[in-house]
Amino acid sequence: MAVAEPYTPSVVVRGLARARQARVGTRRSPLSNRIGLVAFGVLVLVAVLAPVIAPHGPIIPSGLPFTPPFHAGALLGTDEVGLDIFSRVLYGLRASLLAAGAVIASGVVVGGLIGLVAGVLGGWVDDVLMRFTDLFLALPGPVLAIAIVAALGPSFFHTLLGVAIVWWPFYARIVRGEVRALASRPHVESARLAGAGVVRRALKHLLPGAVPAVVVTASLDVGNLVVTLASLSFLGLGAPAPAPELGAMAARGLQYLLQEWWVPVMPALAVFLLALVSNLAGDGFRDLLGDR
Amino acid sequence: MIGLVLKRLVSMVVILLVLSAAVFLLQKLSHVDPVHAYLGANASKAAIARESRILGYNRPVLDQYLHYVAGLFHGNLQTSLRTRRPVATDIAAYLPATVELTVFGLGLAVVLGALLGLASAGQWRGAGLFRAVMLSGASAPAFLLALLGILWFSGSLHWLPATGDTGVVNAPSGPTGIIVVDALVHGQLSTAWDGVVHLILPGICIALGPAVSIGRVLRGSLVSAMRSDFVRTARSKGLSERVVLLRHALRNSLTAALAMTGLQAGLMFAGVVVIETVFAWPGIGLYTSQSIPAADFPAIGGVTLVLGVGYVVINTIVDILQVLADPRIALA
Repeated sequence: MAVAEPYTPSVVVRGLARARQARVGTRRSPLSNRIGLVAFGVLVLVAVLAPVIAPHGPIIPSGLPFTPPFHAGALLGTDEVGLDIFSRVLYGLRASLLAAGAVIASGVVVGGLIGLVAGVLGGWVDDVLMRFTDLFLALPGPVLAIAIVAALGPSFFHTLLGVAIVWWPFYARIVRGEVRALASRPHVESARLAGAGVVRRALKHLLPGAVPAVVVTASLDVGNLVVTLASLSFLGLGAPAPAPELGAMAARGLQYLLQEWWVPVMPALAVFLLALVSNLAGDGFRDLLGDR
Repeated sequence: MIGLVLKRLVSMVVILLVLSAAVFLLQKLSHVDPVHAYLGANASKAAIARESRILGYNRPVLDQYLHYVAGLFHGNLQTSLRTRRPVATDIAAYLPATVELTVFGLGLAVVLGALLGLASAGQWRGAGLFRAVMLSGASAPAFLLALLGILWFSGSLHWLPATGDTGVVNAPSGPTGIIVVDALVHGQLSTAWDGVVHLILPGICIALGPAVSIGRVLRGSLVSAMRSDFVRTARSKGLSERVVLLRHALRNSLTAALAMTGLQAGLMFAGVVVIETVFAWPGIGLYTSQSIPAADFPAIGGVTLVLGVGYVVINTIVDILQVLADPRIALA
């Protein structure tokens, strides 16, 4: 029987590459992207310093329930049990960024390793590894992630695991592509003729060449991941109740939407802000590194 | 061409087998023992052992998997731990509403995506605004759109309903299960209109993200197509900018946008779970989110299979459509 032919999204990749080429090269990085970079830096700082900045603890009631925003010292209001939403959003940002970072890191390591091995060794190893990768790409990742977390049981760690399992194939494809393109370049060829072994060539001559593409992809990925992870949390797949997760906060506040709108809307807006800034910063970062 | 279609169909079967293996494996890894959950917390050890034997859980894993796949071919998706009905029966009851929502959403996404792509690729003054809208749309989680939509269009303005797929109490429920279609079949125009009105908010929420992705890819390939030699030739022939854009550039930019549409279907299926939950839309997304707190994995696994099949089928069709849109792909 024939081996599974992948749905290679290369047309999409080419389209996106064209979009990037079209934008860069004609002018320098747009102002919005540079602002995005700065804003992202600020958000990361805020997330790291959340315990210092937050006026209240994330799970200790700080005032009356349902205080509207800008009242009684509650910047974004309080929720149904009187927890300070501003403080919880700060902790939620921290959790979101940490989660996105963890998934990207695991994707880069696992996908990178698979892509590197496939690209360096070529032949049947390449075939097997890339077929395996394409199988993952052919399945609806977000749906599979929901099933994985639901099977393992809802928790913050399982959410990371579930999303990471469907996220690495993109990185495997990118690293493998870069490595294959580099392998035929003169400097790698001469290293081989000089007697450098496979491992040495892979780590010293091929891997560094794949780094820029991976870094750019990863920085453009943060926004997507923030939204995906928040959606899983919204479905109740994240940490249990009082934990300050943005998606879960929005979901639990849903029942108060029409009277106390700020309870669900503020955390949802925070997800949007974080994703928007991440996307702008990703574009800015790509411009910084030059057109890829 | 026929060879290509056959190849795609074979790969589709392989992928679906892998999907079924994945769902089966997840069920084995599940933190809930299905027999114990089914019989209740106070079931005796003997009763659990007896039920396990009846259900085949004491057999070798490979045996169980083959049994499971054989069951799938007979439409057997096991029994829900929450509703106590066969999962296949449950899904059959919930699926039509989801089909209604996703078909509407995907259609809306394609139309909106095409408009966004064309509008933002042009050289006119408003193009920047469209780009800003697209960037924001790409960053907005579906549940934020849903919250704001309900708050404004349902809560404050009372223009659109925000729960369920119809407000008519005794709406017709056959033959398709899709409210709008059924109402039309029965000649109830007002009920059909009610169904359409109920579709608008959830439909837009589910379509906006994919529309933006489609628009971005379309814009990317349009911009590069507009710089190519054949467009220069078309312009130098004296054709209007509109004809050049719609007739020459668009046709050559369709493949990328088409591929993106297929990929976005996967995202949309996940979005359906969120949006159906917010809008109490009686589809398999709502069924899933109700099954999550009950740890009802047979139900979640069943939905995963159904959505996975939908996704794989859509992408197989997209693959074939791509060859029709751009015959060069078949040669590659």
